[in-house]
This record gives sequence, structure tokens and C-alpha cells, in this order.
Amino acid sequence: MKKRYWRCFVCNDIHYGVAPPELCPTCKVLNAYVEITAEEARKFLGGGPDTAFAPADFRQAIERFTAGNEFKVNPDEGKVQTLLSGIFENETNHGFKFCPCRLRTKEWEEDLKLVCPCNFLIHETYRGVPNGECWCGLFVRRT
Amino acid sequence: MARLLMFHGRECPHCKKMMPLVEKLEQETNARFEKYEIWHDEKNADLMRSFRPVIASKCGGQLRVPTFVNADSSDAVCGEMEYDKLKAWALGQPAA
Repeated sequence: MKKRYWRCFVCNDIHYGVAPPELCPTCKVLNAYVEITAEEARKFLGGGPDTAFAPADFRQAIERFTAGNEFKVNPDEGKVQTLLSGIFENETNHGFKFCPCRLRTKEWEEDLKLVCPCNFLIHETYRGVPNGECWCGLFVRRT
Repeated sequence: MARLLMFHGRECPHCKKMMPLVEKLEQETNARFEKYEIWHDEKNADLMRSFRPVIASKCGGQLRVPTFVNADSSDAVCGEMEYDKLKAWALGQPAA
């Protein structure tokens, strides 16, 4: 299942996935996506407004992300601040918001699994664990 | 004594929690850990990657920290754990 890039021909939304959305989530036009190259996608994405996140912005983003989910941001504020510090250090030094509690392998597909928030629902520290948490502990199951 | 390594991350809360236990273990026994921080030192990161076959099989298929490696027996254990478990592992004894 190789992921590719797609562009809405009406509003220029960019989608990265194995298939394009049937309905553009922004302009609501049906069957609007055409495949483009990674280089084209980079140009479209790189030319927009500055979207750099400060740690506080990222914190707000993950709070919104967890709002409708069975998990929440860890109430241990000290732990959260340590993790956010590491996540942003990693973005500065290594290009992505890599989990501070794992190490990238230098294999592209494998390392994308470490970008926070990762798919921690499959972690043995979370799946089936009543008070489970992601490996690093940034997200914990609501109890 | 076996060659023991500890891989840790500067901003990893679990590593911070384990470090005093490792130091206590070193004070109470003849176990010694070579300690390698892996997010701010690429040589250390490469060293951890060189143990990937050993570590990944014991740590959810990934390179996670904190991880403790016994280089002589090619064994690894990762994550937060109780002092007694770490001690038993480091000394090659069955956990109580």
C-alpha cells in the first residue's frame, strides 16, 4: 500500500494516502483530487502561511486531538513538559517530532512510526491495559 | 562481570526514573553500566542501532529507551521496572 500525493483541483488541498478522498473536506467538491508528485506537494505545502508550532501550540493541538478520544494528555505536568521539550529538540535536530523515548532506525517508513502523536493504540503499554499509556507516557487512557 | 549498557534519552521521563536505580545497583553490587544518551549523540545512537536485533526482539520491535543490554549474553530489557527486577536481570539471576 504505497502512499501517494493528491491535490484538490478546486481549492488545492493536499492529501497523502493510498487513495484520494471522495469528498474534499475543505471545499466539499466530489471527485476533486488528482495525483501529483512529492515534489509538487512540497511546493504547495511549503508556500503557505508560516505554521511553525511553538510547544504551547502543539500542546493545544494535542489537547484538541484527545478531546473526542478515549485517551487524554497525561495530567502529570512535569512529565508532559519534559516530553514536549524532547519532542521539540528532536524536531530541531532531526526534522520530525520524534518520540523522546525511542530511537529512529534511519529507515524512513519505520521512523515515521515514531512521530508524535504515534499510533500508540497498538503499544503493549496501552492496548488492553485499563490505565494504559503510550510508550513515553504523553497520552494516557481516560479512566 | 558481563558488559552491561544502558541506553537513555535526555528528555525521557522513564530514563530519569531509572537512572537513580542504576546508580544504586552500581553502589550495592559489582554491576557496572556503560551509559549512552542517544538523542544528542549520534555515535551513541549508532551504537544502540548496532544492537537492534537484540533490542527489537525484546522491546516491541523497536528501539526504545530506557534499554539495558547485556552484550555478552545478547540479552536486553527495556522500560521502567522495579529495582529488584533490574538487579536480577543485571546479575543474571531469575527474577524473584
